[in-house]
Amino acid sequence: MASTYETVAGIISDTCDIEPDKITPDSHAINDLGIDSLDFLDVAFAIDKAFGIKMPLEQWTQEVNEGKKTTDEYFVLKNLCKNIDALVAAKAA
Amino acid sequence: MRLEYFQMVDRITALDIEGRRIVTACQVPEQSPVFEGHFPGYPILPGVLMIETMAQTGGWLVLAMLGCTRMPFLMQVEKAKMRSFVSPGQAMEAEAHLVHEGSGYAVVKASITASGKKVTDAEIRYGVVPFPNDTLKAAMLETARRVGLSEDYIHAA
Repeated sequence: MASTYETVAGIISDTCDIEPDKITPDSHAINDLGIDSLDFLDVAFAIDKAFGIKMPLEQWTQEVNEGKKTTDEYFVLKNLCKNIDALVAAKAA
Repeated sequence: MRLEYFQMVDRITALDIEGRRIVTACQVPEQSPVFEGHFPGYPILPGVLMIETMAQTGGWLVLAMLGCTRMPFLMQVEKAKMRSFVSPGQAMEAEAHLVHEGSGYAVVKASITASGKKVTDAEIRYGVVPFPNDTLKAAMLETARRVGLSEDYIHAA
């Protein structure tokens, strides 16, 4: 079974037409991979479907806008995957 | 339908919030300036307006599900297929069902039938955001009443 990171990297590669070898756990989805808001919508939809969750993107955006979090905490892939794992665990609980 | 005003939906004929599904009636006008250009001597409803009709139909579903508190803006159209021509005067029925309600976005699958035949279908995605101003919100609520959206779904706004 693919890890969360492998699944997410695969989704990003397929959805945004990015070479897999350019994607690493330390990649920032926006700053490093250049994913714009429309492509991120595709990525979010694919992640929601793949993991059966609803990523709280609006909450994350608000926290970033209010300075409570940095974009790194949500959009660096290893951190995104940790958040996905937490959402999956919360759903299963 | 008043094509030149982008009024694509005449009325909501079925709305099932639990089933996440909506049906609308859309009567293509006999005459419109649109048909003068599309096409001279062979008037047919432009495919982009079929897409707009599906988008508005799905949009009313999203609006109803959110109690008209937020506005769905068209962001993406996937796999749109124009399967058959639609002529002036034809009655169309548009249907949409919600595939996914994400955070700040929504996805529907929609289709239109005319004369018992599916004429188009697509997957449509919306960005769902607070109304950008009161003018748009008031216009949408007025339109909601015009197309027959129950007050139950307007009340929250």
